[in-house]
Amino acid sequence: MGQVIDLLSWAALLGGGFFYVVGAIGLNRMPDIFTRMHAVSVSETLGVGLMIFGMLLQAGFTLVAVKLIIIVLVMWTTGAVATHALARAALHDGEKPLLADATGALVATDPVSLFPELGVRLATPLKSEIVEEEPVESGAPEDAETLAEAGYGAEEEDANPDAERPDSADKEGQ
Amino acid sequence: MMFAAAIIAVLIALTLAVARALAGPTAFDRLLAANKIGVSAIMLLALFGFMTGRPEFLDIGITYALLNMIGTLAVLKFFRYGALGHAQDLDRDPG
Repeated sequence: MGQVIDLLSWAALLGGGFFYVVGAIGLNRMPDIFTRMHAVSVSETLGVGLMIFGMLLQAGFTLVAVKLIIIVLVMWTTGAVATHALARAALHDGEKPLLADATGALVATDPVSLFPELGVRLATPLKSEIVEEEPVESGAPEDAETLAEAGYGAEEEDANPDAERPDSADKEGQ
Repeated sequence: MMFAAAIIAVLIALTLAVARALAGPTAFDRLLAANKIGVSAIMLLALFGFMTGRPEFLDIGITYALLNMIGTLAVLKFFRYGALGHAQDLDRDPG
């Protein structure tokens, strides 16, 4: 029984090491960032998973096995999230994936030209939206003043601060 | 012995990842290689602990696994905004 487990452990560790090295070779050989990301993802899921499985067989039912399972679960989830964030950041930054054209040659292609709806999702919202929101916030008091001048809700706005100030003063006094 | 074989494989992969981190044309290539180096460090910790019969190194491995993603996301955010979360800095041009 021990020899069978050792044999399985050998196979898992060697297989995991194989996939891990293949991922690293792909990281160096692939033509652009997105294909490199693909190569690394394979090695980080299958390679790491197999190597952890090989160690798991050697650990048996112990606390060490629980730690190994925690490591592999964390790595499987965070690896996917990090790769997704990396691909999205690369697309935002203007990296163009290499795609084969009609003749089979690799051409850097803007993905938005192929999938127009992608442009909506990739449209960088952050800077433009924040710049647009700030005038709205500063403009809100002006709207309230114009409303007050027109007589809408002027009494309520004046009444509420007066009602609150004595309460807060009483609390501070106490 | 089996752990030594896996350690050699991880070391080879680590060397290749360092080569890509040094050569990578864009920051994202370097970041991807850095991510791979971090995973290699975790695997080296675990495998070396098993090889020497001291699997207590796995605790450090868990910490590295958690820090790896946070580091990647932090560097990505830094490259995009030039800051790590001050709202007044978000108005600046990204990148």
